[in-house]
Formats: sequence, structure tokens, C-alpha cells
Amino acid sequence: MKIALCSTYVPFLYGGARNIVEWLEASLKEAGHAVERIYLPETDDPEFLFQQMAAFRWIDLSAADRIVCFRPQSHLIPHPNKILWFIHHKRLFYDLWDSPYRGFPDDEKHRSLREALHRADSAAFREARKIFTNSKVVSDRLMAFNGVAGEVLYPPVFQPGRFHCRKYGDEIVCIARLEHHKRQHLLVRAMPFTKTPVRLRLCGVGSGNDYPDQLWNLAGELGCRDQILFENRWISEQEKVEILSDCLAAAYIPINEDSYGYPSVEAAHARKAVLTTTDSGGVLELVADGINGLVVEPDAVALAGAMDRLYLDRQEAARMGERAGGRLRDLGISWDHVLKSILG
Amino acid sequence: MNLLVFAPVIRSSAIGRMAALVVRALAASGHEVSVVRTEKECFSGSATHAFACRPVSWTDRSAVTALAGSADACIYQIGDNEEFHRGCLEWMPRFPGIVSLHDIFLGHLFFGWAEGRRDEAEEILRFWYGGAAAEAFFPAAAAGDFIEQTRSVSPMTEWICAMARGVIIHSGFGAERVLASCPGPVYQVPLPVERPSLLADRPEARPAGDGRFRVLTVGHVNPNKRAESVIRAIGSSKTLRATTVYRLVGKVSSARRVHLVDLAKASGVMLEISGEVDDADLAGALAEADVACCMRWPSLEGASGSTIEAMLWGKPAIVTNTGFYSELPDDCVIKIDPDDEVASCRAALELLQREEKSRHLMGKAARAWAEEVFSPGNYASNLIRIAQEANRLRPVVSVLEEAAANLRRWGASDALLSLGETLDPLRALTGAPPDAAGGEQAAHPA
Amino acid sequence: MKVLIVNNMAPFIWGGAEELAANLEKQLVLAGHEAEVLRIPFQWNPAAKIPSQMLMARSLKLWNVDHVIALKFPAYLIRHPRKTMWLVHQYRQAYDLRGTELSNIPVSAEGDALVSLIREADREAFGECRAVYSIAPPVAGRLKKFNGLESTVLLPPLNDPELFGGGPPDGYILAAGRINSGKRQHLLVEAMRFAAESVRLIVAGPPDSAEDGDRLKKLVELYGLSGRVTLDLGFLSRPEYAGYINRADAVAYVPFDEDSLGYVTMEAAGAGKPVITATDSGGVLGLVKHGETGWVCEPDAKALGRVLSEAAGAGSKTREFGANARSLWKSMDVTWPRTLEALLR
Repeated sequence: MKIALCSTYVPFLYGGARNIVEWLEASLKEAGHAVERIYLPETDDPEFLFQQMAAFRWIDLSAADRIVCFRPQSHLIPHPNKILWFIHHKRLFYDLWDSPYRGFPDDEKHRSLREALHRADSAAFREARKIFTNSKVVSDRLMAFNGVAGEVLYPPVFQPGRFHCRKYGDEIVCIARLEHHKRQHLLVRAMPFTKTPVRLRLCGVGSGNDYPDQLWNLAGELGCRDQILFENRWISEQEKVEILSDCLAAAYIPINEDSYGYPSVEAAHARKAVLTTTDSGGVLELVADGINGLVVEPDAVALAGAMDRLYLDRQEAARMGERAGGRLRDLGISWDHVLKSILG
Repeated sequence: MNLLVFAPVIRSSAIGRMAALVVRALAASGHEVSVVRTEKECFSGSATHAFACRPVSWTDRSAVTALAGSADACIYQIGDNEEFHRGCLEWMPRFPGIVSLHDIFLGHLFFGWAEGRRDEAEEILRFWYGGAAAEAFFPAAAAGDFIEQTRSVSPMTEWICAMARGVIIHSGFGAERVLASCPGPVYQVPLPVERPSLLADRPEARPAGDGRFRVLTVGHVNPNKRAESVIRAIGSSKTLRATTVYRLVGKVSSARRVHLVDLAKASGVMLEISGEVDDADLAGALAEADVACCMRWPSLEGASGSTIEAMLWGKPAIVTNTGFYSELPDDCVIKIDPDDEVASCRAALELLQREEKSRHLMGKAARAWAEEVFSPGNYASNLIRIAQEANRLRPVVSVLEEAAANLRRWGASDALLSLGETLDPLRALTGAPPDAAGGEQAAHPA
Repeated sequence: MKVLIVNNMAPFIWGGAEELAANLEKQLVLAGHEAEVLRIPFQWNPAAKIPSQMLMARSLKLWNVDHVIALKFPAYLIRHPRKTMWLVHQYRQAYDLRGTELSNIPVSAEGDALVSLIREADREAFGECRAVYSIAPPVAGRLKKFNGLESTVLLPPLNDPELFGGGPPDGYILAAGRINSGKRQHLLVEAMRFAAESVRLIVAGPPDSAEDGDRLKKLVELYGLSGRVTLDLGFLSRPEYAGYINRADAVAYVPFDEDSLGYVTMEAAGAGKPVITATDSGGVLGLVKHGETGWVCEPDAKALGRVLSEAAGAGSKTREFGANARSLWKSMDVTWPRTLEALLR
């Protein structure tokens, strides 16, 4: 089949959103399909919202047998065989309207714009032959705001066969962007409360603010720098595989995230348990307490307790790691399942 | 919502009176309303209706710009009188908004506006009505039968509606032209009229003992109001001649007055011509009337404020069976056949004069119906609804305007502006399903 | 600088302009910039779609981009305050191809209106650019003729010139490049019927379609040329391709009305090989001067056959023409540093 994968981006800004498209492309090509990637620019400015939406309505991809659309406004591209793999709305006009992020006033003009956007989006969703989302959270939002059903299709990681388990060491590892809502600071706070020699390894880049410095300073204040390995830099895929293969377990405790996040799935492929918190949102769709990981309250003492538990009972940690793989299968987090869904 | 209403405010404007009612109702519902008065400057000293706020003059550029720039919607009261609605025409292009369309025929408004803009005016005529109509328009204005000549061929309704973001019409009359030319929503909402205050709310009250059958016609005394036919009708009936006093309240030219007085004398009819009166005297006239005679030919208005007023006063009305009037309920008014006006009118008057009970019942039915339908609150809430709907369509309309602007800049012909390949994909942006028969967006010369 | 290269996309088709854009991206990165290619889908059939495609390009909003280099219609309509045109081509069906069977714009009043629209939009887009370059003289010529606009010819440099060092000839003439009816490799195969017995021809490159490849195979079989014509049909890696060029006696490249010099031409000249081309090969003639840097003859099998015979064998004339070709190419000074400097001015 000739398949066009469509998404939007901001030139020169790289992020997780682009990966899923490229990985899907690789999988589809491997399965013998012809794939074209369509990335078009778009910005958030409310003044130009509908003008850009019109641009996407004019795109003609009739050369493709099927199109798969990811980020808005790509969902607006018309096509008789349109599949959406919906990642998120223009959230400032949806669930983040009543948040400090909005940035524009809650006045008649912008409320009208919001209403108009909801109508246009809903019409575009109804055009789709099938809608997938990347998590239950997003599916729920889609139904609440636009009255359409989205089936959850979990994004797998690229070439999951790369991950392996060599041993269960002493480190609990968190490989994720160093950002406030990923809450690495909570992990740092937990360290002084640990009673075992368990160690913490924080790897990842920041997003341009001083959060990484804050982490470093915090560890200093708490006197636990010697328990922590800080790697504030880009971690290559190869390094990631190595680190996960040797660690005791992975920790991923973002606040109220939409999806489970790649870090959880990567750890599961490496047969490692995932330590997470009760308010991590989508992560809990993957991690079940005591089955393939530990779910605790988002406070330092509880986290420390969980870390100690993993350290003390390696076999339990290993068992949970083994079950993690099964959980991935149960949830259909695989490229096979993705291809079946997209091409069905 | 924060609204800016453009309207005439002087006493002699019935539209101004309606606007005041609506503005008060909007304010009462909690909306912020400002008013821009739209009459020719020479009227600025005249007495005005009571608005909830002090109106700003349409010539005060900085004030109007500031108000319009910050308003959630602008509302324009449009009627066929250039001297009263001049300010609307000035500001509509720059701050498009919702139009309350009081008249379907806007020939006089257009004619007044066209002064000093002949070429532009002819282009507009040509665009909407073709070359022949464009050529005939100005000569017809010079001749005496301007309305007759132009109302069906070039009523100028489209000229105004194409500039609006939404239009409220007050009856089904003329709806097709409005729908064909307005790029936004069109609502039909009954014209609001003030309910008479409770004190005067005594339809039975009238000067006792004089046994007269009082027939009243309110409004600017022009041929369109058919005063001559009424006089002839009364004059052709012995019983009516004996009992009826026909009173005309409203502006009247001296020539016309003389003509009607002479006609009444010759027909043996008791005629009272009161000229323009103040609100109190008008209320008195309505209170003591037995019947309101509201015939029109031709029908030019979207709706008739004076007819509705009479109904709110609980008076049976005689109307011509056309336009807005033909939509009035049959148990509230008597409808006259315009092709047999005098005889038809005479029969109606005779019936009403003879049957006092029926008269009262009809009046009561009229009042009940009018109170329910013509409330300012109802109009105000519809105004808010249409303004919100127009605002919601704004993003898509902007896109179309932007596309048209781009294409025009590239020298596009009208045909290129309306290609299906360009317009069809945009339909979904309004929320409509792809195969919905959406209204055709008219490309207009603005 | 963050440089965005803006090009069209015909979905699932990858051609010379795509190669150019990708190479420009690579070279910008090598020069220390950040660069990306934006490919905007373009659907030109039916012609009634074209206005919507123009509007689409015009309605896209760019952020986080310092400089735009635009290549084709309608992608070059995209708005940006710092835009440079490196014109690969306009919508030729509205210009030099208008009225031919290659144009989808009808010869009618509607068609005229569309052509007029395109012309006006072009005028606006070109006017917005800080500089207008064309990738080859024919492109600049058309822009001048149909739109009255001046442009500077800025030839696309070779992407890996170091691979084309030349070398001792191995006794064959190479027909290189994508294989399709427009590039006319079939003519060269047919020409072998009229060439001397000793002439060897190698045709190497990817056929656009199975039919294009089959056509050549059938010709070889039909005329019994399998002893003298070698077909290496399929994707060639750059080193493989360069190897063929470097060991050839001469390179034959006879496309119909090529827009630009042609990569094959430039690579051959860079390797010091003379080029055989046809009188109607368009931009190729910019590098191939008959009797100096190669041979130019009528695009028919007999004439080509004669030329092939002349060129075959490492005669001194052949070597002389090859050296001349290299000199001429060098004198054009078509390098990436110079090109980037012009594009980013």
C-alpha cells in the first residue's frame, strides 16, 4: 500500500513527537509498503489558527491509499481513508483552557474561536475512518470534547529487540528529560530516606531552564550527592540499552502524564520493574503495583521505601521485570499490533 | 457581552424607539451596552428616546473607534431613511456587525448614500441587479414613482445584507433576498414594541357618551398609508359616515393635509388631522381608539411598529393582506384585499362598528398575542444569540476573506474565486459534514 | 542560521529536485548551519485545484526559521521575511508548455484566467525575495521571457566531487543517469547498430519503471548487441557510479531538453571525460561544445552511431576533449561554498 504519514512540527525543534512517525515509517517499509512522510509546519498563535487549518484542508494526498495523521492540524487533511493516531489536541483550547498556560484572554473573541475550533475538529474527526489515541487519557478527552471514540493504540519503542537484561545491579535509573513535571527532584529527595546502598542514576537533557542545576543543588543540600549519578546530557540509544540492561529497576514519576511514556516501555523491554507514583497518570495504564512495578504515593519517604524494597529483594525485582514483558503483550504494545491496526 | 448599538435616537424615529427598548432589555440582562447615534448632525439638538446610556455621536471618530474596537459585537439598526441612518453606513464597512433590518426596501437610504458616489453606486447596482437596473435607478429617483419603479427590481436589500455578519428580519417578507446575500446567520425575530404602561392599560377607557366610532391611523401620512382609501370607504357607507371619526396622527405635509381635508369634506367624513404629537398624546389617541387602521400599499416595511403597538393596546386592527401583515393571526386582525381596497375596508369597518363584542374580543386576542411575541426581552436574547453565532463563524469567514483577498491580489476573476476545489474542502471547518448543502457564500464587491 | 529549504512534494516520487534539496541541506549543515527540507505536497491535477494549492502554500506559517531557500512553484509562495529563490522551475504548464499536450491547463478563457493568476502570484513571490537565482540558463531564460524577471544563474555544484577524480580509460562509453524515455538511453542502444564493431557501450543506472528497463533489454536482444552493450540496470551506489565514470573513455548523455547542465555532464567533466550529447539536449550544451569538450549531433541513431565510433578508443582527441571539459567546468567555479554564500546573502 502507499501510505502517507502526516504530522506537524516546528522547524528545528526536535522531540518525542517526531519519533513515533519515523519508527512507524521504518516498520511499514519493513513490511513492504511505500511510505511518504509529510511534516508541515504550524504554530500555536490564535491569530493564525484558522488560516493554518485552511492550509491543511487544501492538502491533497489522493496519491496515497491511506493516510495516518498524528499531531494537529494534520488531522484536518481530507482523505477517504484517513486514520488518526491522535496524540493530543490543541490543548490550550481544550483541557488547558482554564490553566495558567493559556496566554490569551478568556474573552468573547477567544471563546468564539474555541467554539469554532471544537466544531471544526469534531467534523474532521468524523471524517476519519478510524481513530486511535496514544492513551486512555486522550481517548477520554476526545469523547468528552468532540463526541468521538478513539481506540487506544500504545506507541511501541523503536526496535524493541535492542533491549536486553544482563543483570539486576544497584542502580535505580531514570532516563528522561530533566523537567519539573518529570519530577526528578522527588527522586532526589527520596535518597536521604533510603536505608540500603541503593543508588539513583538520573540521565537526560534539560529544556533550557535551570532545573538540572536545581537538582544538583538540592542533592548537595540534602547531602546525598554520593548516592546519585547525574548525567545531564543527551543519552544515545546504545547507552540507554546498556544502562537499562544493568540496572536494578527504572523509575518514572511524571505528574499526570497523558501516556505511559517511553521510559516505562523501554524498561519493560529490558525486563526491569518500573517504580512510579499514584498521580503519574498514563504510566499507570502500564504499571500495576506488585505485578510489573511499584506504585507509591508521590512523597520522598514512600519512594525511598520502594527503592529499598527493590534492593533487598532482587528476586522480586527480577520477577516483576519478567512480568513487564508479558504486560506489554497484553496491552498490545508492539509493532505487529500497530501495523495490524493501522492497515486493517 | 459587550455590545455597541448604532441607531437613531431622536423621538421621531420609530426605529429609535425600538432601539431604546432593546438596549434597555440588553442592559437589564446584564450586558454592557453603548450607543452610537446615527442621524444627520442637524438633529443633534432634538429630543431623544431614553437609552440606558448616553449616546455618542457617529461623527466622534475616536470615541466610536475605541468603543467598536473593544466591543464583542456591533449592532446596526437599518431603515430606509438616509438622514436617520447615515452613521450606520459610515461605520458598517469598518466594523461589520449584526443588522436589524427594519425595511426590505432601502432605495431611499441608498439614494442618499449614493450622493457624491455615483460611480460606486452604479457598480453596486450593476453587481446585484444587472446593467438595466443600474441605468434605470437614478432616473426613477428623479421621477415621481421611485418606489413603484424600483422596489421589485432593485430594493437594495442585498447591498446592506452583504455587509453584515448576521441579519435579523422581522417577518418572512423579503427573506429570500436577505438569505441570498448575507454571509452569516439570518434570524427572523418579531419586532419588539413597548407594552403600554399599566396606568394607561385600559383599552375600554375612552371619553364617555359621545357615541363616536373612533378609527385611528398612526404614522407619517404618506400615500403608502392609504388614508384616501379609508376616507372613501367611510364616505361610501351611510352608517359609517354618521358615526365615524377618522383621526390621523403623524407628520403630514401641508399639501397633503389640504388634499385629505378636501376629500373628507367632499365625502362627508369626519376627519381629524393631529399632525405630530408627543408620546402622551399618542397614548391618549390609542387609548380612545376603537379600531386601528394600518393598511399599507405597497408593503415596504419588514414589520410595522405602529400596528404592533395598536395590538398591544388591545385594539382590533385593519391591515392589508400582504407581507408582514398577512402573517398576523386571523383572530387578531381583519385583512383587506388590496385589489378591492375601498369596498373591503368599508365592509371591515362596518362589521367592527356594528359588532362591539367581537371588536373587544379581537382586541383582547390581539393584545395577548402581541405581548407574548413582541417583547423586547425576546428580541434582546435573540440578538445575543445571533451575535454569538456570527462570532463563531468569524474564524472561517476570515479564512474565506483572506483567500479571496489573496486571489484578487493575483488578479482572479469571479469564477476563480468560487471554484469548488477551493471552497469545498473548507466546508468542514464550519463543522458541517462534507456533503451538507451549505449556503452558497456570495462573492461580494466589497 | 536556521535555514529552511522549501520544495514541492509529489507523494512517493523522488527526483532531481529532491536530490538537490537534500544535498543543499547536507552542505548547509557541513558549513555549520542548521538546515531542514520542508516538502509541501502539490496536486496539480485537475488544473482547477491549482489555486487552492497556491493558497495553501501562502497560508502556512513558519516560526523558528531564520532564512528560507525556495525551489519550486507553488512552494515558493510560502511567506517569510528572509526568502531567497533558487529557482528549479516554475509551473511550466502555464508558460512554455502552455498549449502543448504536456499542459493540463485548457486553452480557453478559464485557462487564460488561471495562467494570469499564476503569473501574478509569481510576480509577487519573486518580488518578495531578497535575491532570485536560477539553477540553469534555460530556467533563467524562461523567467525572463515569460515574466520579464531577471535572475542570476547559480548552478548546483556536485555533491561529492572528490569521487570523480577520473583515471585511465577502460575501453567503453558510458550512458549514465536515470533511465527513462526522456533521457533517451534507448537512442544510444539503437545507435550501437551503426557504430563500429569495436565500440563498447555500458548503460548503468536505475530505470524509472520496469518498462523503461525492459525496453533497453528488448533492443539489445532485437539487434543482437549483447556482445557489445552491457546493461547494469538498478540502483548504483555513489562509489560504483563514480567508478563507471572514472574508467570511461567518454560519457554519453542525450536527454531531451534538459533544464540544467545535468549532473551526469558535470560529473563527467569533473572527471575529465568528454561528453556526447544531442542538439536538443537543452542545458547540457552549456558544458558540451562540439569539437572542444565533446560531441554534439542530431538526436538520431545513425548520427549518434558515427559519434560513438569517433569517441571510442582512447584517442588523443578524446583525451584532449576530456581535459577541455574539465577546464571548462573548473572555470565555472561551481562550488558549494560559493553557492551557499550567494543563497544566504
